[in-house]
Amino acid sequence: MFSLLRVAIPLMALVASAAAETYPAKPIRIVVAYTPAGTTDILARAIGQKLTEAWGQPVIIDNRPGANGNIGTEYAAKSTPDGYTLLMTTAAPHGINPGLYRKLGFDAVKDFAGISLVATVPNVLVVNNTLPVKDVRELIAYLRANPGKLNFGSPGYGSTGHMSVELFMAMTGTKMAHIPYKGDAGVLADLMGGQIMLSLSNMPAYTPQIKAGRVRALAVSTAKRSPAAPEIPTMAEAGVPGYVTVAWFGLLAPAKTPRDIINKLSAETARILKMPDVYTRLADLGAEPVGSSAAEFDAHIKSEIVKWAKVIKDANVELQ
Amino acid sequence: MFSGVFDHLMLGFTVALSMQNLLYCFLGCFLGTVIGVLPGIGPVATIAMLLPITFNLPPIPALIMLAGIYYGASYGGSTTAILVNLPGESSSVVTCIDGYQMGRQGRAGPALAIAAMGSFFAGCVGTILIALFGPPLAELAFEFGAAEYFSMMVLGLVAAVVLASGSLIKAIGMIIVGLLGGIVGTDVNSGIARYSFGVSELSDGIGFVSVAMGMFGFGEIISNLGQTAETKSIEVSQVHTLMPTIDDIKTAIGPTVRGTLLGTIFGILPGSHTVIASFSSYTLEKKLAKDPSRFGKGAIEGVAGPESANNAAAQTSFIPLLTLGIPTGAVMALMVGAMTIQGIAPGPQVMTQKPDLFWGMIASMWIGNLMLVILNLPLIGMWVQFLKIPYRILFPSILLFIAIGAYSINNSEFDVYLAAFFGFFGYYAAKWGCEAAPMILGFVLGPLMEENLRRAMLISRGDPSVFFTRPISCGQLLVAFALLLMVVLPQFQKKREILAEADD
Repeated sequence: MFSLLRVAIPLMALVASAAAETYPAKPIRIVVAYTPAGTTDILARAIGQKLTEAWGQPVIIDNRPGANGNIGTEYAAKSTPDGYTLLMTTAAPHGINPGLYRKLGFDAVKDFAGISLVATVPNVLVVNNTLPVKDVRELIAYLRANPGKLNFGSPGYGSTGHMSVELFMAMTGTKMAHIPYKGDAGVLADLMGGQIMLSLSNMPAYTPQIKAGRVRALAVSTAKRSPAAPEIPTMAEAGVPGYVTVAWFGLLAPAKTPRDIINKLSAETARILKMPDVYTRLADLGAEPVGSSAAEFDAHIKSEIVKWAKVIKDANVELQ
Repeated sequence: MFSGVFDHLMLGFTVALSMQNLLYCFLGCFLGTVIGVLPGIGPVATIAMLLPITFNLPPIPALIMLAGIYYGASYGGSTTAILVNLPGESSSVVTCIDGYQMGRQGRAGPALAIAAMGSFFAGCVGTILIALFGPPLAELAFEFGAAEYFSMMVLGLVAAVVLASGSLIKAIGMIIVGLLGGIVGTDVNSGIARYSFGVSELSDGIGFVSVAMGMFGFGEIISNLGQTAETKSIEVSQVHTLMPTIDDIKTAIGPTVRGTLLGTIFGILPGSHTVIASFSSYTLEKKLAKDPSRFGKGAIEGVAGPESANNAAAQTSFIPLLTLGIPTGAVMALMVGAMTIQGIAPGPQVMTQKPDLFWGMIASMWIGNLMLVILNLPLIGMWVQFLKIPYRILFPSILLFIAIGAYSINNSEFDVYLAAFFGFFGYYAAKWGCEAAPMILGFVLGPLMEENLRRAMLISRGDPSVFFTRPISCGQLLVAFALLLMVVLPQFQKKREILAEADD
């Protein structure tokens, strides 16, 4: 028995490393739990294209949208863990949803192994031009003088846009009414039309209108100013110290995927994100490339889940 | 102002007429026609599949091609609707009603030709409108809030009642079935899944494409199989005329102009209202007709109006995208993605910073419409031949395309089963004399109506008077009420007929 193990262990190691050496031997599929041409999809395609160039195997993007990203995520969680099915995830399925849904078809931590945190996107606090406030301090004063009067829009119940405002209200002791939409386009149209007055959602959708002066940006949600719009102050600078929310995108594999395949993917992803053309493409999107290690990404997911669960509890957001 | 537009259009045509751009424009229109003809495979899936290819193209040809796919599809969508009662695109659902009846009477050729000509006219008008009044028209959309959308849906549903050619009670019943089906899915305000029974595929609602393809295509095949061999062969042998007569064209001019106008308005409003545009146009034509009883039995107005409306809407839905950077529907959202991939941030600055792109696209749309009509008119002869394919080959191929189309929406087998389910439902509904069109409209409008009703009530803090204090909303409700009166009160109906006769 003992001798058998002595043979078997090195043999298993040999098989595993052989798997990484020959990987990928067939096309790789990246599941995207959102519709094509959204930020998640564009990032997955950008990475996929470079993986194809590096390894000579096609990378197929498989869009399985719906239910706040839960459908595609559940699908990826149940795929064969052989390195040929990956998932490009976001702060919803691997940050907010575990705390928001009573029942999920996947375990965001146990069912997945992180490959790399690909990019982060700031949220931006924008208001309708007719709202008589010039900065966040004036906004807070206005909200305190008119509690519950203002309407804010979000791209959906449980989105980072929704939760970011909940966190803002909890930290500043203010109150606004939530008007949910289906996506940022609807929010933007009604924000410009004055049907709603405020939004705090993923910045790329709002940048052109901010630059054209059609809506007014008061702050970005990240710890540092965004290189895409350095003139907009951070929330901390603008008067809400400690306020940080980030929309992020990362690559995952099903939990039991061989470790050395994950490491290989992780190293390659980090290398791709340093390429100048990829950097430019992401910057054009308003996203900042990261390219973390697998372990760093795992830790990031865990901290995000804890953080959003606390926001959901503090803000008394209704569970689903 | 107009001389400025002329200079801009010159620039646009210079860009659009370059060899490369002409080629991609043709490619887009051709692909669009093909996917329009194929049931279920819509522009959304096609553009999504082709997006990666556009990575390696310069921005202008890439966007010209993608735009061509979109309006090309709305051109081609009527073909299968007329030939085999299968809407190639959701916007062709209404075309099925009278287009297919025309086909059964051996007038598939004229129906196809009128659809193509109406679409061409609408496309040209749409393009000119974008060029002349794009920016101010886009501003108009801001006047539309949740209350206005809700009232518009009410008007649409009332119109659906008018649309029914059979029993009023059955039409209302089918609308309610549609509304109930549309309620399935995640509630936008609370995020809670309703009537999904724990099936995660149902948590985003029942796909409209599966329902439409099932009810029309699948259902039609089943009922055809139930017929005897002789009745089938009669239908096919009756195909004789290919081109419409002068009378046909005279009858179609009015509906085409009115349909174009309606489509233009609906296209600008956010929310992909090409379906509503074509439904509204049908209702309007039926109301204006001297003899509304011809509708549902092969009235050419029922083809000309809706087809012009959906193509005009397809054209003008580019206005909010190009002038403001706001996508009005799924296809336009993909166009935003395509622009972003090319490093162009869609927004009001595109017009001033990239005039070659903006005006080049507008000019290419006009060229594309011309290409489409040249492409489609000679094809009519070929499409009509299509009807001579024996049913043992035609039916399995249609079934296959429905299955592929349903699968391609979300890459999910579930949608294929859904289409099959609605096929049986559609078959029995037809046997009971219940029409599919009102149900489809209820299905599309139901969720939108609920979303906007609740949004309007949230914004007004529960005060329902917003629907009457806002002028646009109030006006639409009044029109809906007037329409309802016409249908409900038989005396009024009679009086209207007498009045119409007195006018002559």
